[in-house]
Amino acid sequence: MKRFWYFFREAFTSLRTHQASTLIGIITTAFTLTSFGIFLLLYHNVHNIIGRVQHNIEIVVYPKEGIASQKLQTLQEAIQADPAIDSVTVISKKDALKDFNHQFPDEAYLLEGLGESPFPASLVLNMAEKIPSTDIISNLVNRLQHNPDIERVRYNRDWIERLTLVITYMELGSLIVGGILALASITIIANTVQLAFYTRQEEIEILRLIGATSLFISIPYIIEGAIIGALGGGLALSFLRGGFELFKHKTQGLSIIGGFSSVFDFFPLPLSVLLIAGGVLLGCFGTLTTMYGWMRFRL
Amino acid sequence: MIQLFHVTKYYDGCLALSDISLRIDKGECVLLTGPSGAGKTTLLKLIFGFESPDDGQILVQNRNIARLRRGDVPYHRRTMGFVLQDFKLLPHRTVFENVGLPLIIRGLSFFESRRKVTEALRAVGMEHKQTTVASVLSAGEQQRACIARSIVISPIILLADEPTGNLDPQLTTEIADLFKAINARGTTIMMATHNQQVVERLNGRILHLECGHLLSDQGAYA
Repeated sequence: MKRFWYFFREAFTSLRTHQASTLIGIITTAFTLTSFGIFLLLYHNVHNIIGRVQHNIEIVVYPKEGIASQKLQTLQEAIQADPAIDSVTVISKKDALKDFNHQFPDEAYLLEGLGESPFPASLVLNMAEKIPSTDIISNLVNRLQHNPDIERVRYNRDWIERLTLVITYMELGSLIVGGILALASITIIANTVQLAFYTRQEEIEILRLIGATSLFISIPYIIEGAIIGALGGGLALSFLRGGFELFKHKTQGLSIIGGFSSVFDFFPLPLSVLLIAGGVLLGCFGTLTTMYGWMRFRL
Repeated sequence: MIQLFHVTKYYDGCLALSDISLRIDKGECVLLTGPSGAGKTTLLKLIFGFESPDDGQILVQNRNIARLRRGDVPYHRRTMGFVLQDFKLLPHRTVFENVGLPLIIRGLSFFESRRKVTEALRAVGMEHKQTTVASVLSAGEQQRACIARSIVISPIILLADEPTGNLDPQLTTEIADLFKAINARGTTIMMATHNQQVVERLNGRILHLECGHLLSDQGAYA
């Protein structure tokens, strides 16, 4: 317990006594995480927009003419059970006629006298937000086409293929850019910690002189790194939030998809916490790499 | 207590110690003398586990230091005290905090630590400076605090590398007397020194080193 208290007291005393290096550490972490956060924010929003677009993918299924209502319901339930499907809407022959009349009121006279609705009944399938890929949709369509109760399946294959390709490239690009930024962040923070660390070699020498183990010496530094990382992460989050609000305010007048403010949103709470946790991890990892490099060559 | 068998040490190909063999018994006061570069500090560092010998064996309390695993070195150091010429105190900490540090490392309770620190500070005449920050102490006070930190753990062996190197003759005598008192309580002392005044005052066994060779091993100073 005394040691535990000592570790935290040492970490906080060190932060207080080495104010300049602490400040440099916090600012470096904040700027590094801000650049990473800008990228993450862009990715998060583009991903959201694509998710919404994916949700709008529609597959229209035309059941066999004269299918019994019992069979139609079974078919609807079977389709609805597929995890790739978000919702299934049944459009009866009457509904199809109503829709036509509603959409083209001037042409309604063309269908007068035909008696029953000439339009076939259909099932409109909306895809789940994160599911669609060309393969999944092709498999689904293939299964539907082989169903004896289905006459025809209509969907925009080219458009889905293009969208899938864009998503694949975007995710691959995100992975590469995110990886590079994370690596750069670790390097920058490790160097900052290293600089602070060299100024305290005397302290470490003293601790070694009185029989402290490497772990005992390291723990306060790791706590210190974690605190710097958390403060840097918090500061980065404030920068991002401020920047985001400013961006939203400046683009409020623009009328693209009803204004940017309606399209973009800030990180949800879990992602915000993750950014701070990322700062803590970077701080700890930066300290550990420096400590390990320094300790392994000394008895 | 301490035994060296044909110990040799090189630094970047330069000979620092050559074929040193000796035995130091419990409660002895050993003074390492010789010019700068003779190998006095190297010998102390080897015994303390700061360096490893290139050849030979070192036994400290029947433990072979040359074969000590890296992780065991700190535990070996905890059995000894080491006083250096340049004090090595944490400048922003109080005397109490500096002296109590080895006890925190050992995980002692607050009350036991407090008792031991007070005892150690009383032994070096620094009880009244407990709350003073180390950086404002005089050289003599810093060295006393450093000695208190070394004896707070009741070490079996106390190593000292030129502990009076930065002190005036008056303080040198005081520090030498302090070491003498510690030795009188049964602690084995091994001290590297240039100072004739200290040699005379401590009146111990003298090991004279030159260019890494042990030239003489005399008993108490006449």
